[in-house]
Amino acid sequence: MLKWLTSDPLNGIIITITFFISVIIGRYLRIKRVAPGNKGKLIDPRIKILFLFILIISITFMKHWYFPIGITVICTLFALKSKIFQNFTRKMIFPVILAFFIVVIQGLTYGTNKIYYGIPLYTEGLDSGSLILARMIAAASLAIHLLSNTPENEITETMRWYRVPGTMLDISSLMSRYVKTFSTEAKKMKWAQESRCSFSKRSGFGEKMHDVASITGALITRALVRAELVYRAMLSRGWKHDQGFASHQPLNRNDLFMGFVFASGIMILLGIDRML
Amino acid sequence: MHISDGILEPEWIFFWYAISILFIALGLRIINKRIKADPVYLPRLSLIGAVVFVISVWHIPVPVTGSSSHPVGTPLASIIIGPFAAVVISAIALFFQAFIAHGGLTTIGANTFSMGIVGAFGGYFVYRLLKNISPLWFAAGMAGLAGSMLTYMTTALQLALSLNPGDVMYYWKLYSLGFIPTQLPLAFAEFAFTAYVIKYISETSGMENIQPGCPLDRFTKTALVLMFSITSIIAIGAYIGYLGGANMAGTDSTVEGMAAPIASPGGIGVRLMSILGEPLGFALVGITGGLFTGYFWSELRRKN
Repeated sequence: MLKWLTSDPLNGIIITITFFISVIIGRYLRIKRVAPGNKGKLIDPRIKILFLFILIISITFMKHWYFPIGITVICTLFALKSKIFQNFTRKMIFPVILAFFIVVIQGLTYGTNKIYYGIPLYTEGLDSGSLILARMIAAASLAIHLLSNTPENEITETMRWYRVPGTMLDISSLMSRYVKTFSTEAKKMKWAQESRCSFSKRSGFGEKMHDVASITGALITRALVRAELVYRAMLSRGWKHDQGFASHQPLNRNDLFMGFVFASGIMILLGIDRML
Repeated sequence: MHISDGILEPEWIFFWYAISILFIALGLRIINKRIKADPVYLPRLSLIGAVVFVISVWHIPVPVTGSSSHPVGTPLASIIIGPFAAVVISAIALFFQAFIAHGGLTTIGANTFSMGIVGAFGGYFVYRLLKNISPLWFAAGMAGLAGSMLTYMTTALQLALSLNPGDVMYYWKLYSLGFIPTQLPLAFAEFAFTAYVIKYISETSGMENIQPGCPLDRFTKTALVLMFSITSIIAIGAYIGYLGGANMAGTDSTVEGMAAPIASPGGIGVRLMSILGEPLGFALVGITGGLFTGYFWSELRRKN
């Protein structure tokens, strides 16, 4: 009965050590998360974005489908826990549809070994297609997670820390503001046009395109004038192009440690994927 | 057209990033110079960026290619703010779109190359070429159409290079044909949209890059209508043929059976095709024949 204790102790030792170290790390993370002054951010956004980018690149290097699928499952569980599941699944629909199409097309056209499931399929195509499917949905779920948990301006500021050219960041911060205004104004103008008998069901392709383009043209010309006025007002109030918004705190030891842990985790995962 | 993360192989991710970064750097240099001279250029640029974002975010999934179809908007942007600036704003728009699962972070380089570089430069080139010989709306519309089609041809090439390196030409054709049912109508919509928008802007505000064009004469109109009709018939025919299992082999077997026995193996046509390859060879034949016909057209008609 006690054979498990008296025979090879290696597996037992490994599982005991890893379990208890994980228990200690888990408790430490929990304490850090609920500590006063912590705004619920476990990871610094700079580390988070770098981690995400490296992880997505690593996913494209992976040769086995089950690792990306594992990452997708973890992301889905996090989405459930963070109560963003509905938003998460809605955004995932498009990449999942595309990924399934790739599996079908690769399975039908790519390879030499044919198998028959009612229709002829190629095993190589199915293998490569399912790998692409797994990679695609894993990468998409990670990107959706990042945006759901990180405000846009935080991402932009993090990019500034990574020395992304200031002009690009200024353009992107203005752009994100204009996109929202644009959508709202376009809707209002469309309603206004509809109330004046535009976009009728009877109108043909040319007329519809004319209506859409006249809204866009009017929006662009109006917005150009408005944007210039607002921008001049910003300049007169001391705003400078490429000045940044706030000085960044240097990364503290804990953040660096977390970054190191994540980077090592990715490397180990990639290593295991290659060895299998 | 947006390629998602996980589709391209790592070497292609880095390759497309390297090319796109070069163009983005050049674009940023030009933008910074313009901003120094005219600070209000920054909000104008951002506004056009927002337009590109909104236009290119309406997408339809394309079953055959594992990508999507949508209007690109970069030809319109390149006409208003110039092609280099259009590359920068399309890269930013693609970055934001990656977070709504439209495109991807690792594929920003590839998507910027197809939509930002090829779409913007292709469209702008067509616009500049036609601006002085046709009405402004037509030059702008053709820029939209050409930019849109070129973008999708490039995406098809990128997919073929990464997914099927063993037979790039076959899969390039396959993916290009896969885009046709959704992209051809969208390209015509982009033609109308770009034409109307530029016409509207030119009539209501004096933007520096937009100057009035020339009217279109009857000969040019007829030639363009013929070009559109014949191209559409060929594209639709090839697609129907592909669905029927023709495997896109073209008319090679027919030509070989009927014309090859009497053709000279050392003839100029055979030699040209072997040196240039088929696409370039046919392009050369088209250009030579077109130039010759166009040049002597009036004289031939007068004689008849």
